[in-house]
Order: sequence, then structure tokens, then C-alpha cells
Amino acid sequence: MINEKQKSIMSGVVFTALLITLLISFFDAQHSMEVFIDHPEWWPPFWNGLLILDGVLVFGTFAWYAISQNLVFFVFKRVVEACLVLLVIATLTFTLLRVMPGGPFDQEKTLPPEVKANIEAKYNLNAPLLEQYKDYIFGILQGDLGESYKYLGRNVSDIITETLPVSFQLGLYALIISFAIGIPLGIFAASKHNTAWDNSAMFMAVSGVSLPSFLVAPIFIIIFAFWLDILPPAFWDGPSHYILPSFILGIRPAAVIARLTRASVLEVIRSDYIRTAKAKGLPQRVVLYRHVLKNSLIPVLTFSGPLVAGILSGSFIIELIFVVPGMGKHLIQSVTNRDYPLILGLTLLFSALLVFANLIVDLLYSYFDPRIKLS
Amino acid sequence: MKIFHLITIILASLAIVSCSKKKKGDYNLDPKETLRVNITTEPPSLDWNKSTDTTSAQIQDNIMEGLVEYDFSDPDLGLVGAIAKKWSAENDATDWTFELKKNVKWTDGIELTAQHFIDGWQRLLNPLTASEYAYFLYGIKGAREYNQGKIKDFAKVEAKAVDKYTIKVKLVGPQSYFPYLLTHHCTYPIRKEIIEKFGDNWTDPKNIVTNGPFKLKTWDHDKAIVLERNEIYYGEKPKIKNVLAYMIPEMSTAINLFDKGQIDAQLTLPSTELSVLKKREEHLESGILSLYYYGFNVKKKPMDNPLVRKAISLAINRNEVTKMLAGGQIPLTSWVPPGMFGYEAEIGTGFDIEKANKLLDEAGFKDRSKLQTITLGFNTNENHQRIAENVQAQLKKNLGINVELKNEEWKVYLNTLKVDPPHVFRMGWLADYPDPDNFLNLMTSYSDNNHTNWGNKDYDSLIEDAAKELDKGKRKDIYSKAQKILTELDVPVAPVFSSVVHSLVAKRVINFPNNSMNRYQYKRVELK
Repeated sequence: MINEKQKSIMSGVVFTALLITLLISFFDAQHSMEVFIDHPEWWPPFWNGLLILDGVLVFGTFAWYAISQNLVFFVFKRVVEACLVLLVIATLTFTLLRVMPGGPFDQEKTLPPEVKANIEAKYNLNAPLLEQYKDYIFGILQGDLGESYKYLGRNVSDIITETLPVSFQLGLYALIISFAIGIPLGIFAASKHNTAWDNSAMFMAVSGVSLPSFLVAPIFIIIFAFWLDILPPAFWDGPSHYILPSFILGIRPAAVIARLTRASVLEVIRSDYIRTAKAKGLPQRVVLYRHVLKNSLIPVLTFSGPLVAGILSGSFIIELIFVVPGMGKHLIQSVTNRDYPLILGLTLLFSALLVFANLIVDLLYSYFDPRIKLS
Repeated sequence: MKIFHLITIILASLAIVSCSKKKKGDYNLDPKETLRVNITTEPPSLDWNKSTDTTSAQIQDNIMEGLVEYDFSDPDLGLVGAIAKKWSAENDATDWTFELKKNVKWTDGIELTAQHFIDGWQRLLNPLTASEYAYFLYGIKGAREYNQGKIKDFAKVEAKAVDKYTIKVKLVGPQSYFPYLLTHHCTYPIRKEIIEKFGDNWTDPKNIVTNGPFKLKTWDHDKAIVLERNEIYYGEKPKIKNVLAYMIPEMSTAINLFDKGQIDAQLTLPSTELSVLKKREEHLESGILSLYYYGFNVKKKPMDNPLVRKAISLAINRNEVTKMLAGGQIPLTSWVPPGMFGYEAEIGTGFDIEKANKLLDEAGFKDRSKLQTITLGFNTNENHQRIAENVQAQLKKNLGINVELKNEEWKVYLNTLKVDPPHVFRMGWLADYPDPDNFLNLMTSYSDNNHTNWGNKDYDSLIEDAAKELDKGKRKDIYSKAQKILTELDVPVAPVFSSVVHSLVAKRVINFPNNSMNRYQYKRVELK
């Protein structure tokens, strides 16, 4: 079994690794670190190396945790299940796309039949459906997601590798902001239960949930980019550009997290062990942060799985308004364009992220609350 | 735990210390020599044989040149030579000869020859290229068969480089407007060996070879494209050194950046903010050769009766529609739009409620309750919705007809038009080349773009006759007759208006290209 000391070493390692990557990505080292200005070619190996190291550290820690908790079989089972889920999703998406009216090459100016025939032959769209399906699945197994119909000559995997990191970066900042605001706000509201403080905190949370980002974004742009003139209104070119989009993307999840945390803290605070902690004379702060917080994070964790997958794969509106070259735009536009390979590729990626995030959340359950047994 | 916090703090401070402030959003270009425009989206492809959209064309038109180009100073939009020195037609516009300028160089220093054009046309027509615009050259003898795969040998297609500087073309039939097709990017020359060497990556900045006033310097996907002056361009060199083309999809964001002085030109404006933006001194507007119309499905009752169609066309007050839109659109009853040779404002049904009601009575619908509810289809879009609602109200008020609106997502709508068009449907057309043929051909009985199910042999033969006619006056008469059949006699369509584009262009920009073909060539632009 794993002891408390090992646990804190693990979280320390993961935390440090993530923080370093985050800081470097935030300050866009490629263009700002002296050494890389002189030797731009050093950047990709350095950055990729760092990411791989990070990945190894994080996964290694999880693997260590899984092994020490006898969860290897559990993880293995979940990964096999995930592969099956992905296969079902690929099949369903493939079928739905073919059923959906309107094809990828339908346009205002109708194409002559011979031109259309040439295009269909090129993309193998004239083959029987079963054969197209077989080719597609074999393609995926070999790591080939196909060529986009809209962006000629560009592979779906190229589009993903170019846009996902940007969406990931934006999503990560937004996530950090949402947790950093949401959890303390929730705890604060709960500790001042039924006071004006509680009410105003929850009023903020409700506003955060109900105000759509397409409304909040222009207001923030007017205030910060025009009236105060301290932040740029658009683009994704460095730290000052990251602030507005990340913050606006983070507001809504922050609000949800605040409400969840508050409700959960209120429940935990009434339990016997908290009464014991108070009775033995621990200060309020220690009770809250050491005993209440950890035990009330389970609902927040449950919410975090889908949240992480959703937010990391890009936000259509925020990316559009702030001209962020991320993946969110492609998620929507590929459907309007009926760009079959791109739709399929992005759907699979999103599903994989979702399944993976949920797996991590399940592992974290048992980490935060040892009473939960995974098997 | 504490030791890790310490490490974190040390590393974090290291990361921060090693950073210095440095912007890259402007690609280190000097704004005084750089025109910064918004091309809205990522160009789907810079391969000029394959791309079909206006965004890609905006870049291609600046890095490449074809045989001929528009003379935008000519109100009738005539042509001037680009790479071609002169050209001539023989045999009733069936045989064409183009003579090329000498000493025109590609960006890698190789001289441009007639064979490069033929290579481009061969690639365009090759079935394996699967180019959507292959049909542009179907007029050339053997071209269609080559594209269909019936002819395997391109030597049998009648487009030949007879020597280094001469191209000879034989067409299937007379086509007086043939040179206009050659203004289009799909007919530009190519360097076969470059494409063979780099495959799909040949349009990457490090591989691409071009012949235009600018060359492609950077292509930052989903962000921006940078063009740089081509120092070995054969013509007068551009005054500006760079063009920085941002991809900003959201119009309000682009206007924000324009207000901040970060972009010089925004080429489309949100219709809801037009009334305010039109008052600004940076505002520019230009009529474009386009058509917004309602088509009637003549196979569906009661639209099978020409009197009903004519009555509907007569009962639509186009002025009311354009006034409601308030975007400077030009009300239109004729099929050929203003700004193009062949435009006659008085052609078509005017607005006449009395006559419209009389025609509907004659058609046997004196009792309006006998007339079923008519479905008006359009693709989901705020503006189309506003127009359709306006027309719906007009038809109710003026004729007592009940109209129900039906909107569908764009691709679904296109499918509906193909399979089973509603009684009345919205459609539009944007000129490929500024000749009435491009508009009138649309409604021939054999056109794939004619969704009305209407066909008229007299109309078809008029369009074919006009294509053979080289005399401008006679051609105009023929087109006039054809338009009358279309909009006054059989009325399978009711034109509504011709569009106008609005843009914001910074005061420091001189000679910004603003024309009816939406072609943005920046070689003559100067910056104050």
C-alpha cells in the first residue's frame, strides 16, 4: 500500500512537471527565450523533449499509483473497453454521415456529372459503402485519418497536430482559472453559509453560468482593449493575448465548480469526523482545508472528466471571437462542409479525450477518497 | 512536499527570467511597407488548378498571372494582356491564337513558356486531378473527353504550344467570350516538375514557384499569410513590400482590429451594423456582378401555370426589399445584373399589383381560397430569412396568397433543390466571367444549375447563337430577346436584386482594388 508521504511526492512531481510546461507555454519561449532566438531550430526538440518528459512523469506516476493500488487489471479493462467504445463511435459517425442529406461536393454551382465522377473516384466515394467503411477502419488502425475534402492536400492528422496544441493551451489556462476561482469561491460561500457573502458569491456563480460567452467576450474586449487599452482584442501571440480568452472560457466552468463545491462542502461539514476535528480544537482553516476540502472534491471530480475533454478540444465561439487558431472552429465547420474525414477524425479524438479523462477521474476518486475501491 | 514547492518556484522564476517581451503577431514586417488585409478564413488550397473559393483566389491573384486580366478602368470590363502580348480569333471565334511576352520569369529564374500553360491545362483536365473547375475548359476540342477519360492522350486535345511563345486553341464551337475564361486562376500556368517533385506539398512557401507581382513568404495555417514583393516580376513592381493577410473569421473582431489600426482593410461588413459603418469615411462600396433571385418549380401546381408565376413576380416590390435590407442593393427585374454588358434595366416584370391580380384571376384563381399555400424555401441565414419574410408579407397583402417559409441547412437545401424543389426557392449567382453568357446559360434546359424544371428550345438556341456572335450590337439584341423570354414571357424566375459589397479601407491606402468582380490584386496599391 501507498503511504501519505509517497502520495505527496507523487503529487509534487506531477504538479511540478505540469507547472514548468505551463509556464514555458504561457511565455511562449520559442519566440522570447534568448537562446531560441539565436537557434530557432533548437526549439522543437527542446519543447517536444519537455512534453515527452512531462508525459512520462505524469503517466509514470499514474502507473505507479495503479500498480501500488493493484489497479493494473482495472486500467487494462478500461482501456480495452475504451477501444470498443471508439470503434462503435467510428461506425456510428460513419453511418450517420452517409445518411445525412447533402454531400461534401454539393455547392451553389452544380458540378457537371463527369467532374463529380472524377472527384468521387479520387476520394473513393464511388466504392460500395462497406468497402469505404473497411478502408476507413483499416486506415485508423494504421494511424491514417485520411485527407480533408475541404483543405486540399492536408491530412486530418496534420490539421489536428497543428490546431490541438493551441486549443489545449487555451483550455488548460481556462481550466486552471476555473478551478482557481471555483473551488475557493465554493468553500468561501459554504463557510459563510446563509450570509450576504454566501448570497453574493452564489449570485456571481449564477451569472457566470447564465451569461453566454458571445455576450461576455465583446463586453470584456470593449473594457480591456478599448477603454483601458491594456489587453489586445484578438490573436494568440503571447501572454497578454492569452488572458482574455482564457478567462472568458474559464468563467462558466468556474461558476459550476463553485456551486458544486459549495453544495458538497455543506454536506461534508455536517459529518461526524468534522465535528470531531472541531471538538479537538483544530482551527477553522485547518478543518476546512485538511478535512472538508479533500472529502468534498468528489462531485467536482465527476464534473471535471467531461469538462476537461470539452474544454481542451476547443471552443468554437471563443476561438472565433479572439482569432485563436485552435480546433474548435474545425469541429463545427467540418460538419457544415460535410468534410467526412475531418468530422470522423475530430469525433474520434474528442471521444478518446472524454474516455481518457473519465479514466483519470476514476483513478483520482480512489486517490482522494481511499474509501472508494476500484476493481 | 516543501522541497517540491521550492523546486517549482525556482523553475518558474527561471522560466520567467529567461523570457523577454517580443511580438511576432506582425511577422516582424514594417507596417509602413505592409498592406494588412483580412481574408477571413484559411484558404482551402493554394493549388490554382484545384481551389474553387474566393479566399484562395485572393492570394493566387497576387502571386500568379495568367494570359489575360481585366481592365477595371473599362466600364464594360474589357481585357488587357497579362502574360499574353496579343491574341486573336479566327473562324467565327472557334480558333484562338495567343502570343506570349518574352522574358517573363518564374520566381526561381526559369523563363515562362507557352508549354507551362499547356501543362497547367492538362493538369486541370486530368481526371486524376479531380479539379472541380475542369469544366472551365470544356470549350476546347477534346477537353471534355479527356476529362471523362475517353481520350487518354492529351496530344488529341486541341490546345497546343506551337512554339515557345505561341499557344493555339481550337474550340468545339464559337465562343466569343473564351479569353474571359483565361482570367480565372484555374487556367494559370504551372511548373509540372515542381508539382511532381513535392506532391501535395508543392504550395508550401519553401517549394512553390510563381510568376506574379508577389511571392508567398509565409503560410501560418489558420493565422496569416505573408506575401513579399517579387523582385524579378516582369511588369511594374508593386509599390508595397509586403501583404499580410490575416484570417479573422469574426467580422466584429476584424472591425475592432481595424479601429485599433492593426489591419488596413476589412472586405465584408456585418449587415446589421451597416447603417453606422456606412457613415465612416473609410467606407467603400462596390456593386458586384451578382444576382439574387427566386426560382419557381414549374412542375409543381400551381407554379406550372406561367400566369401564376408572372403574377407573383409582378406583385413583389423589389424596392421594398432593398430598402429593408439597407445595404445599397440594386433592385433588379432583368436577369443580367447592372455593370455588365447586356444589362437593360427595363426588362422584366415591374411592380404592378393590379395587373398581378388580373393575371391570377385569369389563371382561374379568382377565388383565392382555391389557391393552395405556397412553400418558399431558402437556406438558413439571417438575411435570407428577412427577405423571405418580406416577400411573404408582400404576397399576402398584394395578392392574397398564403406563403409558408421553409428554411434548411445549406447542404440539405442544395439536396432539396436537386431532388424536389419547393414551389418557390431562393438562389443566387456570382459571375465567373463578366459576360451575359455566364448568367443566361444558367437557365438553359440542359444546365445543371437550372432547378426550375423549366426548359424552352427557343431560349436555348438564342443562347447558343449569342455565343457564336462576335458583333457586340447583335449579341446584345439576342440577349435582350432571351431575357424577355425568361423574365416576361415564361417567368420561371423572378430576379430580386443585385448585391453590393461594403468594405472598410484605411485612409493611408491608395489605389485599393474595388471592383465588380471582387478581384483583389494589390500590385498597384500604395501606402501613405
